[in-house]
Amino acid sequence: MMKKLIAGALLMGASTLAFAQPGCGVGAMIWKGQSGIAPHVLAATTNGTFGNQTFGMTTGTLGCQTNESVRSMAMYMNSNIDKVARDMSRGTGENLDTLAVLLGVDEADRESFRTLLHDNFATIFPTSETTSGEAVDSIVALLEQDKNLSKYIAA
Amino acid sequence: MRHPLHLALYLALTIAGLVPALVNAAPDIPDDLHEDPAWLTLVHYQPEKFGSGYKGQADDQGFYLSDQGKTSPRAELQATVDAITAPGGGEDHARCRFPARDRWLRKQLDLPQTPINCPDFEQWSETLNTETVTLVFAASYLNSPSSMFGHTFLRLDPPQEDAETNLLLASTISYAADAAAHDSEILFAYKGIFGGYPGITTIQPYYEKIRLYSDIEHRDLWEYRLNLTPEEVDMLLAHTWEIRSHNFDYYFFDENCAYRLLALIDVARPGTDLLGEVSTHAIPSDTVRWVFDKDLVSDVHYRPSAATEVSYAIGQLPQDHQTLAAAIANGYVKPDAQEVKALPDAERARVLDTTYDYVRYKSEADDWPRDIAAPLSYELLRERSEIDNAPTVPEPPTPRVRDDQGHDTFRASISGGQLGDRNFTELTLRPAYHDILDPPAGYRKGAQLQFLRLDARLYMDNNEVQIEQLTGVEIRSLSPRDQFFSPLSWQVGFGGRRTDTETDRVFTPYLDGGAGGSWWLAGGTRAFAIATADLEIDDDLRRGYDAAPGADLGILHQNNRFSLLGGVKTKAWIVSSQHRQDLAYLEANWHIGRDFSLFGKFSREDHYDRYRSEWQLGLHAYF
Repeated sequence: MMKKLIAGALLMGASTLAFAQPGCGVGAMIWKGQSGIAPHVLAATTNGTFGNQTFGMTTGTLGCQTNESVRSMAMYMNSNIDKVARDMSRGTGENLDTLAVLLGVDEADRESFRTLLHDNFATIFPTSETTSGEAVDSIVALLEQDKNLSKYIAA
Repeated sequence: MRHPLHLALYLALTIAGLVPALVNAAPDIPDDLHEDPAWLTLVHYQPEKFGSGYKGQADDQGFYLSDQGKTSPRAELQATVDAITAPGGGEDHARCRFPARDRWLRKQLDLPQTPINCPDFEQWSETLNTETVTLVFAASYLNSPSSMFGHTFLRLDPPQEDAETNLLLASTISYAADAAAHDSEILFAYKGIFGGYPGITTIQPYYEKIRLYSDIEHRDLWEYRLNLTPEEVDMLLAHTWEIRSHNFDYYFFDENCAYRLLALIDVARPGTDLLGEVSTHAIPSDTVRWVFDKDLVSDVHYRPSAATEVSYAIGQLPQDHQTLAAAIANGYVKPDAQEVKALPDAERARVLDTTYDYVRYKSEADDWPRDIAAPLSYELLRERSEIDNAPTVPEPPTPRVRDDQGHDTFRASISGGQLGDRNFTELTLRPAYHDILDPPAGYRKGAQLQFLRLDARLYMDNNEVQIEQLTGVEIRSLSPRDQFFSPLSWQVGFGGRRTDTETDRVFTPYLDGGAGGSWWLAGGTRAFAIATADLEIDDDLRRGYDAAPGADLGILHQNNRFSLLGGVKTKAWIVSSQHRQDLAYLEANWHIGRDFSLFGKFSREDHYDRYRSEWQLGLHAYF
């Protein structure tokens, strides 16, 4: 059972496991001191206490200056990368909406947010090995270049 | 106060009813306040099963302020009043550790409403940002003993008018056994029943729960929004804070996930007394029914599991697109192949979406290796991202009958019948939970789980009472296979039953099991073929035990009006009797409303070179 879950987690959660990314990418920061997605899912399936840890992670200081909403988005991406990628490829879905909520994108800008991510799917996920950290960094870069949406990621 | 004149004045005013009696005084606690149901609920007291006292269900001393707190509601009340009126503050003050008790006592005793500063608690409740509470029920999942009954947890919903909220991000409160990851399912079942796991309250985002129940365990979720007022929601959160870090030992049948949540709701709305409904066991689907019966639900929402979604989406594809999707998933056709690209945008999007969901499902459920699934998933998504404005995948419809609207789990049956030439009357009691022939609405079709069923017969010819069968546990899962899904059908059971020794029918302990496959025939009808193995152990058998490999071939039809099961079974007893036992059987239940079914059974058996028929007609009542 457990082996199955770990395999599933590794497979679906895109391999953020223990990668060391230099510099100040959001993806790299999130995993500083965390051992990766596998123990995360294990804790969930054994009904263990890890809720507090989730709180701690969102509120923790992560070493370099970044917008807190971007950090929240990175957190969410890490747990749900396969579902976010799916919604992004379709240009619609509750996981894509959740990203918008985490970034504080107003209702009025949601449509262009969805369209931007849908149109740039291949930029955000250039290969099947793209990690959630890399995807977040691409999303941030895309938003920065968008004159309408850049306000949501201003640090 | 200490001045005699003040005291005299105070007494005079009190008598005159001009000032509240308790201002500045050590509070005068009414003699029976500790017996107030709201207090008993707050400290989780239950009447002792033997004796007249009470016992607190918390299993660590930190939950009690008095040394005698576990057994004395009165001492605990006194200690709590003393502690919350004690001067000082800070996180360790009782007011910060027990905000719900503080709130309730201040209301009962008219204590001064002095505000207190508890930054940890305040920040915690602020983070939770709760406007309403939703009870979420994760449907049963047969493949794991820990979740056969279903599971419930609470979701804390942020204010909906705020556009910057999303229910996926809402927090959930869950009470569960803190089982070590390496414990086997058997150890888990044992400790769950007899105790040994600490139960802990956890808070997690809803998306983690969806991932676990919906994506990994393939369980549909039912969301019941409760109609708690803001004040009741505050009380629920305050009490969650109190029990959050304390251990309440976990037991599968009674003090389980559902039980502790009922206690939270009872605290939020005193007088609800949901715990009063719990007798011997708290099956989550039953607890949802109670919550409904107490008028606590304002709104229901269905969230299909990933498995439900994908099988529905596949069913919506035309046959040739189904074949194409299977070919893509199995690697025979590339997602960017000409025959895919040739499809009109909307149809191509539908095929790619469904195939991706299917590949994702198979990766979770069947361990598809990453080096196959990851590139395939990626290509599917990239192809899909090139299609703009395609219609979304159709959502599975909400089932007409919710899980909580299925039949009640306790069943009593009375029937009459004939075995050979002997007439009998049979009485059956089954405390839990669902037979494959019971009304299927609200349950997983083709699945059965029965516990502690007792069948007793009175034979009319000599007025003899016999136990026909005592079922310990009986599980059956007949999931149909098709080109997309290939689940195993299986069954397992143990207990005691009457067995034929040629001259007599003796009561013998048995263990049986089987595995095979099922396939859809047509609407609601499946055929199954199961290889079986039976073991019986009894002194009356020639060698003390007997074993039989065998086969069971049959057809099962289920709809909301009637259920039908028929087939042939053969067993070759190879140790003691060395006779084959062949059986043809037909069983039908006709469902009358949610509470009753009429049933009939017929079987004809060839054993020890003789034929014998048995038939039975009767009534099942569910309550």
